[in-house]
Amino acid sequence: MTDSKTMAYINMYAVLGTLENLCEIDPVASAIISNQKPISIGFDVAGGPKATIYFKNGRCRMEQGCSQCDVKLPFSSCEKFNGLIDGTVTPIPTKGFQHIGFLLKGFTALTDRLSALMRPTPEDLQDREFFETSTRLMFYTISVALSQIANNDEIGKFSAHLIPDGEIAFGIKDDVAATIRVKDHRLVTIKQRCEKPRAFMEFADIDLARDLFDGKVNAVACIGEGKIEMKGMINMIDNLNRILDRVALYLA
Amino acid sequence: MSFPIYDHTKSRELFDRATKVIPSGVYGHLGPAEGNFIPVCDWPLFGEKAKGTYFWDVDGNKYIDYMCAYGPNVLGYNDKDVDAAAMAQAKLGNCMTSPGKVMLEFAELMVDTVNCADWAFFAKNGNDVTTCAIMTARAATNRKKIIFVNGFYHGVSPWTQKVDYPGVIPEDVANNLYVDWNDFEALEKLVEENDGEVAAFISTPYMHGNYLDNQLPADGYWQKVRELCTRKGIVLIVDDVRCGFRLDTAGSDHYYGFEADLICFCKALANGWNVSCLCGKESLKSSVSALSYTGSYWMSAIPFAAGIACINKMKQIEAPKLFREKGLMLTNGLKEAAANNGFNLVVSGEPSLFYLRIANDDSMMLHQEWVAECVKRGIFFSSHHNHFINAALSDKDIDLTLEVADEAFKVVAAKHPEIF
Repeated sequence: MTDSKTMAYINMYAVLGTLENLCEIDPVASAIISNQKPISIGFDVAGGPKATIYFKNGRCRMEQGCSQCDVKLPFSSCEKFNGLIDGTVTPIPTKGFQHIGFLLKGFTALTDRLSALMRPTPEDLQDREFFETSTRLMFYTISVALSQIANNDEIGKFSAHLIPDGEIAFGIKDDVAATIRVKDHRLVTIKQRCEKPRAFMEFADIDLARDLFDGKVNAVACIGEGKIEMKGMINMIDNLNRILDRVALYLA
Repeated sequence: MSFPIYDHTKSRELFDRATKVIPSGVYGHLGPAEGNFIPVCDWPLFGEKAKGTYFWDVDGNKYIDYMCAYGPNVLGYNDKDVDAAAMAQAKLGNCMTSPGKVMLEFAELMVDTVNCADWAFFAKNGNDVTTCAIMTARAATNRKKIIFVNGFYHGVSPWTQKVDYPGVIPEDVANNLYVDWNDFEALEKLVEENDGEVAAFISTPYMHGNYLDNQLPADGYWQKVRELCTRKGIVLIVDDVRCGFRLDTAGSDHYYGFEADLICFCKALANGWNVSCLCGKESLKSSVSALSYTGSYWMSAIPFAAGIACINKMKQIEAPKLFREKGLMLTNGLKEAAANNGFNLVVSGEPSLFYLRIANDDSMMLHQEWVAECVKRGIFFSSHHNHFINAALSDKDIDLTLEVADEAFKVVAAKHPEIF
């Protein structure tokens, strides 16, 4: 019920893309790159996504394409790239061997930190600060995964073709927020609060968001209980929720 | 005047209890999620009683009900004639080992009443008979594929759902084809592309889907569809579950000037007593006879007696004409109240099943706010579903509705000085 190409797009933009947010909100991660000289790592996936992660001035950002990177990591298939994220494939750079130190140390430390926050143990989550950071990062990952599934997964595309153009405000009340922009049934996630939404879906608090992400509660039930506020073009929300159901399949 | 704002404390208490023992508290179309209760705090969640065109929630709030239990309330809740017939049958028997003769009487009445009907097959819900119609079409044609109109709703069985719905697998909908409403050329093309494989075309008599303005059939649309289906051996199924008897007691196909091969009824059939009915042409009777298709309560006698009384009364009072007149009176008044307050209220669909949308913004948020302001003042509208007129709705009820609607428009306008 899932496919490796969609998984590769999720792994690239939703999982590795969350390094942007990790470096911004997690002191441990920001410390890792605080003294790092500017460097960029490109991921070139045959038949899949291509993107570059830039580290500069203690910040991290991802851009599409990998023609300008310092270090390039090629992958012969989406499956191989997914193996990188699963930890079963070790990439060999084709460019930028002089930067191998960052790849082996700094970058690996960042991805290890991301993994710790994204796949926490129950004990980890007892720490409130860890819990909140972890949940916020999950929010960003899921927000971006929504768009990747809508654009690549066959069933996700079916849901997306029923979503009219416009922007959906997606967020946790008084906390993190994202904009899902829809144009011609293709979705783009912008990790910023939506200024002029046609539709609005907001979780009441970060604890509820966590329970939803972990599959402990259902969105339909939460709407009735007033824990999820939705308004505006409900057909946008309704179909976004169908895609949200598929996020769990890919990120489980 | 200023109307009091309703409180829903008891509704909320019951709902909180319900969430512990009922999935989603109240699931389905009567629940807050699927029912689009926006915001949920402004809506009743449990009803206490109903009479005529009104229902009362558990907090004692009284509503003029334009949803009519999503259609079944056609003559007025607890109509005395229908209920008397039901009670009389109850004294004789209801769920028996042999069906009551009232089943035959009801079938004869359906055949006499519905224009295209040569026979009647009874079940309980709309989904039972739409499914029966699809199975009949496949049995009769030995073909797999079914053409649907985008935006359709024909029930809840897997074949009626979409591939991205929970619990539905691609194989459930693998033989479903889709075409836009009123697009005859696209339908003709789809039929050509699947020549010899299409068992049925299923559609409501007009497009009354949710979230969009409802659309009536274009001139000649249904006649061309009828001719195409006949020429290609495709069974033409009209899902009249929602519109049935509100446009025409002879069926909505009759109203729009064509004949369906199979037509599905439910909501308005027995004024809330639980029965549904598939009617069809003689040529399909042997196919439906061959189906293995039945249910424990499908031949219960009470709803049949209620159905007979309901249909006879609808004929007697010329219900469709009444519904149209009341629907026009109401919707014309709503449009006027909207315009007086600077709102563009779009009314679509047939007046007896009117659909509302405020078009001043492109997000429906103004519309949702206005509907909520009406609901918490005792006018039960739906945010994004068509409404229903019932025979018990009086001119006085309509006048009160318009007063509340006017106040609701003013409240919403005051909240949005950036627009009004």
